[in-house]
Amino acid sequence: MTVSACLQLIPFALLLSISAAAAQPIQPQSLSAAGPATGLADSAGLRATVFGTPPQDMATLPAKVPLSEVNIELPWRLPLPEILWFDGKLRVWLSAQDKPAPLAIVISGTGSDGNTKTMSVLRAALYGAGYHVLTMPSPTFPGFIASASSTGVAGDLEQDGHDLYRAMQEILAHLPRRVHITHIDVLGYSLGGADAAVVKSIDSAEGKLKIERAVMINPPVSLFSSVGRLDRLFAASIGPGDQAVELLYRRLYAQIANLYRASDRLELDEDFLFGAAAATLKTDAEFSAAIALTLRLQLIDMFFIGDLYAKTGVITDPKHPPRLGDSLADVQRDLRARPFADYFSGVFAPYYLKQRPGATSASLIAANRLDIIGNILSSDGNYFAQTTGNDLILNQRELAWLEETMGSRLVVYDHGGHLGEVGERQQVADMLAMLAGRWPRSGP
Amino acid sequence: MKWALLSGCIALGLGGCASTVISIRRVPDQTPAADNAAAVASAKAFADAVAAESAPGSAGEAKAAPEPMPLLSPADAPPMYTYDPWERFNRFTYRFNARFDEAVFLPVANTYRRAPRPIRSGIHNFFGNLAEIDSVINYTLQWRLKYGLRSLERLAINTTIGVGGLFDVATKLKLAGTPTGFATTLAKWGMHPGPYLVIPLLGPSTLRDGIGFGADYGAEYGINPAGLYRGNVSWGLGTLNAVDQRANINFRYYSSGSPFEYETIRFLYVHRRLIEDQGLHSREPVKKPAADAPAGK
Repeated sequence: MTVSACLQLIPFALLLSISAAAAQPIQPQSLSAAGPATGLADSAGLRATVFGTPPQDMATLPAKVPLSEVNIELPWRLPLPEILWFDGKLRVWLSAQDKPAPLAIVISGTGSDGNTKTMSVLRAALYGAGYHVLTMPSPTFPGFIASASSTGVAGDLEQDGHDLYRAMQEILAHLPRRVHITHIDVLGYSLGGADAAVVKSIDSAEGKLKIERAVMINPPVSLFSSVGRLDRLFAASIGPGDQAVELLYRRLYAQIANLYRASDRLELDEDFLFGAAAATLKTDAEFSAAIALTLRLQLIDMFFIGDLYAKTGVITDPKHPPRLGDSLADVQRDLRARPFADYFSGVFAPYYLKQRPGATSASLIAANRLDIIGNILSSDGNYFAQTTGNDLILNQRELAWLEETMGSRLVVYDHGGHLGEVGERQQVADMLAMLAGRWPRSGP
Repeated sequence: MKWALLSGCIALGLGGCASTVISIRRVPDQTPAADNAAAVASAKAFADAVAAESAPGSAGEAKAAPEPMPLLSPADAPPMYTYDPWERFNRFTYRFNARFDEAVFLPVANTYRRAPRPIRSGIHNFFGNLAEIDSVINYTLQWRLKYGLRSLERLAINTTIGVGGLFDVATKLKLAGTPTGFATTLAKWGMHPGPYLVIPLLGPSTLRDGIGFGADYGAEYGINPAGLYRGNVSWGLGTLNAVDQRANINFRYYSSGSPFEYETIRFLYVHRRLIEDQGLHSREPVKKPAADAPAGK
């Protein structure tokens, strides 16, 4: 085995988590018994969420998009824990036009960095439409928490918004002069959508960036209720505890090994895994398990790092934080089996209750709902949103709230699930119209 | 000791570079239109393949007729947790590799990527052709003569018509390259992977695969084709080979940002190899798994 085979593993990881569901012989009724675990999602929505936008439905994208990697050290960074030595600088990605142009800043979804597949599609669409594009990680991405968070405990809409806003200012102050920016818009997908709107609302008060418009793509209305639903989805489709994960792994291993043995491949590569996933993911329960596991793996880092910074002692002993050579396998195993609710009760709430005298658990949850900026969302015509009628991170009530609040500045597509419509011709055209101020407005 | 010294020097060097507030580094352009076209094509190819396979009485099924091997069951899966007795050493090596990659390997590879495509593919093909010698030897040792013959044909065609290996003519003649090495030979002979091992500069491996890598190099050194491995140019060529390989790998250390990256990579490397071993030992007829059968509707 050579180096090349050793190193091409990260996409493999993602695929593995997707194809994981292939191994799930779960009874569909176990899902329905858990109630509306999937929010609005129907079969098509789950499928679209897993496989994303079909390539043949993509908008026309430019042939070439230049890209620069920007690493920046932020002055307010907290002392870096030894084992996060590689996360000291914030990494964002810039695609600059040669001429004066508006800048679109795009914020990534839960636990993700600024260079995901979804991000590449949005970057291409925006760059093709003449924008400079700056893509940023989610404030819940480990690299952001370590390099740019002023608390180390991510997931609070307002706090994350302030950290993002400060980071944006610092980045823009250091960009080379040849990047001539006429004005700034912000966008975000999934949790990043909510972040984008909050950033714009902060800017309305502070006025340092003069952000013109904000577009939310598949935003959650309440982070904790969305994630709570995904916890239930995990319990229903995979089961509780690490034993369930182990069982899932065993089934997955057997399945992939059997497929591989029956094929005539000489190497287990990405193509094969894509094929395996596509050929074996069929039922709602399998899609659900894939989605639940992917999200769980994305949240593990934030949980671990939050505990490390807040010294809450839920995961590691604050008096003896893990050192460079220490194994983290047991910690990872422990975390995989924990629902996200544990992050809230064990790390998030204890930390913020101490920071904000008079707050209660209920008030913390309420402060994480998009209604903290509900007034602005309904009265300011420069906020826009795109979502789908079967996005599993929303329930009926939340979708109704968005419709009521945003009025005609919200567009609801009838398909796509969560993010399975990003990059489609209609979605891109609407997004660009919203940014350009060509979207019909009839806000109060 | 040598490694400790070297890593110390490089760490110091890195510390020196790390003092600026911002760094902006151009990376290869993205090509969204072409990527999407490729995705359309591969989705179609996959759908076609599924349709062909699920057609009753197809050639694939006929071939698999003589007593199929039993399918693996979940109980046959190896433990989820990897044997890693050298973890402390491995973790430090992983970190060293990441720093080396960031400071030296990746910047050089990125510069190399700016060279015109025909030049790069010529270099890539040239080294691929040299490695074909090792593949011929190992396919023979594995007693998989069909593939060994294919490698031999490739070697002959590309060395002659392909001008010393600069052009991969054989692939165009439907003889696609499937390199193998001594690591796979050891696996075929039944050697267990042994403990997980992160090799300095090379990355994730196991004891067995590491030995295999050493043997591959030893074989090339011993045969010394065209005097390339022991002459004055050998260092330069070795470096160029390494840079070429790196430039063709889409991996960035710690781009996951995750404190668990070491664990994740270890799991993926070891289990992927285990599955490949499974294929090696039962490459002949295997009963078709249900999931592979009529997909779609």
